[in-house]
Amino acid sequence: MFRNLYLKALRDQRKALLGWTAGIIIFIVIEAAIWPSIRDMSAWKDLLAAYPEPMRKLFNLEQFTTGTGFMNAELFSALLPLFFIIFGIGRGARAIAGEEESGTLDVLLVTPLSPGRMLLQQAAALVTGVAVLGAGVYVTLAVSSVLFGLGIGAATLAAATTAMMLLGIEFGFLALAIGAITGRRSLAIGAATTLAVAAYVLYAAGQIVDSVQPWQPLSPFHQALREGPLGGGLSLSFLWMVAAAAAFVLAAIPLFSRRDIAAH
Amino acid sequence: MDAIKTTGLTKKYGRKNALIGVDLTIEPATVFGYLGANGAGKTTTTRILAGLIRPTNGTAVVFGLDAVRDREEMQRRIGYLPGEFVAYRDLTGRNYLTFLANLRGNVDWSIVDDLTGRLGLDLTTRIGDLSHGNRQKLGVVQAFMHQPDLLLLDEPTAGLDPLIQREFLSLVREAANRGQTVFLSSHVLSEVQAVADTIGILHEGHLEVVESVEVLKTQAVRHVDITFLSAPPTDTLRSVAGVKSLEHNAKTVRLTVEGPMAELFQIAAPFGIEQVVSHEPDLEEIFLSYYRGGGDQNVPQPVPQSIA
Ligand SMILES: Nc1ncnc2c1ncn2[C@@H]1O[C@H](COP(=O)(O)OP(=O)(O)O)[C@@H](O)[C@H]1O
Ligand SMILES: [Mg+2]
Repeated sequence: MFRNLYLKALRDQRKALLGWTAGIIIFIVIEAAIWPSIRDMSAWKDLLAAYPEPMRKLFNLEQFTTGTGFMNAELFSALLPLFFIIFGIGRGARAIAGEEESGTLDVLLVTPLSPGRMLLQQAAALVTGVAVLGAGVYVTLAVSSVLFGLGIGAATLAAATTAMMLLGIEFGFLALAIGAITGRRSLAIGAATTLAVAAYVLYAAGQIVDSVQPWQPLSPFHQALREGPLGGGLSLSFLWMVAAAAAFVLAAIPLFSRRDIAAH
Repeated sequence: MDAIKTTGLTKKYGRKNALIGVDLTIEPATVFGYLGANGAGKTTTTRILAGLIRPTNGTAVVFGLDAVRDREEMQRRIGYLPGEFVAYRDLTGRNYLTFLANLRGNVDWSIVDDLTGRLGLDLTTRIGDLSHGNRQKLGVVQAFMHQPDLLLLDEPTAGLDPLIQREFLSLVREAANRGQTVFLSSHVLSEVQAVADTIGILHEGHLEVVESVEVLKTQAVRHVDITFLSAPPTDTLRSVAGVKSLEHNAKTVRLTVEGPMAELFQIAAPFGIEQVVSHEPDLEEIFLSYYRGGGDQNVPQPVPQSIA
């Protein structure tokens, strides 16, 4: 557990990870349990028609007639992205800026461990943490699908879970990078959260307003959600998210290596 | 090869000059005491030498390795105790040291056992539950545990009780005897002069004096209050070699003395001494007197209310 920074960073997030995974599992099970009664609601079509057009577009309300569509609207369009992004940003900001602010970074750096490798090991720990959350989502939904007749296929589910993980990783790496560059945890959380909100607004506006649509592909939310995300399979647009996440961390390495570490 | 060599070392924080043109050479296998008041620039120097911050100007070279260019290579050879040592609260001392030992490689755990035994540190307690003094001991152990070529210790005795301080100072001495170099910063002269071979005095970012401990000791200016059984022999005392100034009231004299005090006491004793109180020499005064070169200016020193 203390063999290297990666393992210690994993150990440090074990409690948070346990809490988040438990929360997500409970959420998914509740949503899945609702599905049979939604499906059997006869007045469903009338209810849908009562929603304004933009709302129907943003939350894919037309899809409410299938289990996949229901889960897309209920979980994968807003709630799960939110969970993954909050987890990623929290861990990313804490990794280096948090350690610097608490004063433990000094001794850690005066070892053969370089700032660059420190950043990479923290990034790897973040990916592992997000992957554990992703596994929680996958297993829970796969089991729920059987129990409650959602009819979600394994490949579909894997692709959608990947989209969620990539959102968590991209914004988590952003917070990690800002924290490493500035040494300030609150700034890392604030800036990464602001950019996440801006990206969501761009995505949502693109769904509703035609003139914004050409810009929509720039948003990680579009890249993650445009194929469903349940139902679309692995999308090539996922690669943009991988590239952006990697770029954040790689750009931070030289800046972190060159700046002064704040004294406690 | 010099253990440490700085050339024109300068550090600015914005417009604040924390360190100005420090030229310093430290020989291997010696203990260097880096003295300065709060804010003099000790921590700034130490953190540049540790590779944690970069000089604005000038260079710092440790065993021929540049603190900026060859940082990682240099850091392998350093044990560092920060001025404000902080460790992970949720880890036990043993877990913390295990983690650092793994990062550094080739740590002989029998050295850790020896260090914790001598300092009386319990490694099974959560760090968050340790007293301030015990946390500081942990900081000392992590700095010494891999027997680094250079120990950078920033005000290491802060929070250690006197008995442990003694043990710590012998650790420092043994390290130097083993061939390790020790850079020890402090704002207390007595602590440093007990263990250092050479002392540097830093004042507002300037390295004012670098001198062997022996020389500094003979030039140190001390204040001593002597209370006599009857009226003090002020004129006799004034004429003693080394006495720089004298103030007195009915029974007590306050003297400023440079160098050894043996002669003073020999002359004063026959007059009947009730009590002697010696005060820690002030850093400011040490280097002022150093610059005066033992001149005959008096250091004005008001007699405090308690004896006036
Ligand atoms: N990060 C910083 N930003 C601005 N000023 C600083 C910073 N660090 C230190 N200083 C200033 O530089 C001077 C030297 O500080 P320091 O090296 O900590 O002194 P010492 O360790 O001798 O007490 C002080 O005046 C301090 O206020
Ligand atoms: Mg200091």
